[in-house]
Amino acid sequence: MTVQVTASEGGIPHNTIMAVGLVGSLVCLYLTYANQFLNAEYAAFFGGLAAVFALLWGTDTIKHLCSYGIGTGVPSAGMIAFGTGVIAMLLATKVETVMPYSAPIAAVIFGAIVGAVSGWIANSVLKMNIPVMVRSITEMAIIGAIVLMGFTAVMAGGFSFDTLAVQEIAILGPLTMPSYAGSLLGGCLLAVSFMLGSIALQHPFNACLGPGEQQDRTLMLAAECGFLSMIVVAVISFAFVAFAAAMLSLIIAVVGFVYTYIRFIELSKRDAFAWLDAKPILEPEGED
Amino acid sequence: MTAIEASSSGGEGINPVASVIAIVLILIAIAIAYFIAPPVAVSALIGVIVGGLLIGFGVHFVPVGGAPAAMGQSPGIATGVAMLAAGAGLAGLFGGAWAAANPEFGFAIVIASGAIGGGLLMAITCLMVNIVYIFGMGIPAASGKVAKDPITGDTQEAYKSQGTEGHGLPFISYVGGVIGGLLGGAGGTLIYYELLKLYSELLPSILSAEAAQVVPIAVSLAGIFAIGMFLVNAVLAAYNITGTIEGPHDPKFKRFPRAIIGCATASAVCGLFAILIVVV
Amino acid sequence: MESVLFGIGVTALAGALATIAGAAEDTESNIGSQGDPNSQVQLAPQMGYIHRIYNKAVSGEPPAYGLWVTISAGVAWAFMVTGMNPVLALVIASALAIFVQGVYATTAYLGRTASLAKFEQPVYIDVIKSVTTVTMAHAFVAVFPAVSMCYLIIAALNHPFPLALLGIVWGIALGAAGSATGNPFYGKERQYQSQKFGAGVPISASGNIVRYAEAGQRSSLDNGWFTAKLAGPASGICFGLIVFFELWRTVLFESAAAGWGAIIAGVVLILIFMIIDRYIEVWARKNYGPYKSESAEEVSA
Repeated sequence: MTVQVTASEGGIPHNTIMAVGLVGSLVCLYLTYANQFLNAEYAAFFGGLAAVFALLWGTDTIKHLCSYGIGTGVPSAGMIAFGTGVIAMLLATKVETVMPYSAPIAAVIFGAIVGAVSGWIANSVLKMNIPVMVRSITEMAIIGAIVLMGFTAVMAGGFSFDTLAVQEIAILGPLTMPSYAGSLLGGCLLAVSFMLGSIALQHPFNACLGPGEQQDRTLMLAAECGFLSMIVVAVISFAFVAFAAAMLSLIIAVVGFVYTYIRFIELSKRDAFAWLDAKPILEPEGED
Repeated sequence: MTAIEASSSGGEGINPVASVIAIVLILIAIAIAYFIAPPVAVSALIGVIVGGLLIGFGVHFVPVGGAPAAMGQSPGIATGVAMLAAGAGLAGLFGGAWAAANPEFGFAIVIASGAIGGGLLMAITCLMVNIVYIFGMGIPAASGKVAKDPITGDTQEAYKSQGTEGHGLPFISYVGGVIGGLLGGAGGTLIYYELLKLYSELLPSILSAEAAQVVPIAVSLAGIFAIGMFLVNAVLAAYNITGTIEGPHDPKFKRFPRAIIGCATASAVCGLFAILIVVV
Repeated sequence: MESVLFGIGVTALAGALATIAGAAEDTESNIGSQGDPNSQVQLAPQMGYIHRIYNKAVSGEPPAYGLWVTISAGVAWAFMVTGMNPVLALVIASALAIFVQGVYATTAYLGRTASLAKFEQPVYIDVIKSVTTVTMAHAFVAVFPAVSMCYLIIAALNHPFPLALLGIVWGIALGAAGSATGNPFYGKERQYQSQKFGAGVPISASGNIVRYAEAGQRSSLDNGWFTAKLAGPASGICFGLIVFFELWRTVLFESAAAGWGAIIAGVVLILIFMIIDRYIEVWARKNYGPYKSESAEEVSA
């Protein structure tokens, strides 16, 4: 209809947010490697923090892309980000088995390749001619791969293809046997991360767009969506990691969620025209 | 989908330079697969590319009116084109995957099952859309883009209510929706089936396990890739038609060659990465 | 024979569950005001029409329901792997999914409404309190049958997909069916109830949604009350038919004609639905007639 996608100008520049998001999420992903040196997967929650950093960055990217009017809804951008991201992320987990400690960097590189091709197709072959298209889709494919990798780290404690594909299940006490159907990949929990991430990526800007959009409020909502999604993956992680580690992830997710949710409500109260409880419609002055 | 409507027109015609580069990219992807992967991977990649362009082509048939359709202001189904096509394509994938699990069934039956699954979803959905328009809102179907329905020859102009661009699903749009569902379902299933065959063949040696044990992994990987590539192709095709289209009679339908080239290229690159997972 | 009877029974049950899911899905999305009709709720304040309607701009219904059903499916799967009873796992997982849904609903309302400050649209806190819980309840009624149906398809009919993957497939299909069928009825018939019946909303009337009820002011709950009478059941029938026929043709005819039986049955079904559609289209043209005389139309054509 005639609703325009309007967004605030100014605020923190996009390049700053991108740098913070990229570095922050990569550092957090590398911190999850600490699991290998601990007796339980206590560092798994860093994956969730990586996803939060990436979502903050992605929210700002979507805002830049969608302020051009891409012809279809904001949610489609989240879908293409994760459709390309899931492929980059899984290939990176496979590279991890050949080259240890390379998965986060590999995810960024593969995401950039797939994203750049998709963005270039949209811009040149499909003639959309949006200046930030290639850059935005590239960034979003990287974000998709990082978020999926982060959520996977929370769920399984790591992201090597071999550990994701096999789950040791105990039979007859000390004996164990490998179960492929009971593993993270066998249960296709990537589908959960996929949907969680793609909605969390598009929701903050989609929910806050309008003439009164404020960057700090939108980014607070992005962090809230990240922690909310982390609650779900932390609950799933009880099936894969030690109880204490899963509990730690869950507590951090809940604390982060409650804090950002309350802050978001406060910021909404700040930006709203009025904050009314059980009051009738206030007709604008000068009209009926 | 949301409150956003097209502002960029998208333009007509194809971009020759970009299209040539895109086709070169497809050939490069196939060449890489040819040199570093076993022969089965090359046929899988070609299957994925064909599947991707079927999806991209199919989206152009699906009549989607977006937000105005929800007010009876424009013809088509009142939802987002990418997601409606995804709904149909994934329902097709459901049927195709079920058929693929039966070892007796060959290639043709699996793909046909997927196509019929998508077509059936669209046939039922489009029928219910017209039932709600006609019996719930008392509005007959009318197209805003053509004077006569190309299939039935019904005149459209007089059945448009005042101040609108038409409403409901004229028969051509209905047929377009079913064709879109058929193509989407076939394309999604083709991607799934090709990747499933590849993974079932190569995963046992990678994980040093028996073939029967790794079936859940192969199904999951092929399934999530099929969904991911489906969404990429559907969104790219939706970008091509800038969100709304009435069906095969809409002038925007003529933009489909661009989407075919674009979706084939995107599928080639995504498919190459998906194949590398079992080759690296 | 017994296995076919069992399969038919499961098919009927899955179809029934899908019908409940579809009906609740559409009612939920109309109470919360989600999807395309929500563009009018968003537009109204810009045209000077301040309202007390919920503004649940999470995303289109297909991705949103894809998320709720997939969360429920994934969490239930994780619970079942750890040895929990499937029924209990499905219920708890659906409850968790609905918690996520409720949070997304409130942030969407607050975010969109706060961004409309320029047009003097206030945030009504009582709207959040009264409507959010109702949408959550309806969403539970939609998500729990949907994920139960997915579980049934795997456990009883041996579909190869894991639960989370089926969740994404049927969640998106549920949202697609519900939004396609239900949106026009909410968008045209309810939001623009004051406009003429039997005609589309003129583009010039955009944004002038009905904001006052028979007595007092219209609440989003009234929208659910209204659309539950036609759009909800119609969406339920739509999704129920899709699931039922999809399973029915496979269960009954899969082994016929060397595998082609299910495909032939599908083609026949598509043709039958196509004929019904053509019949009602012609019926509407005959009984409702053109809006203006055909001669004027021929000139313009």
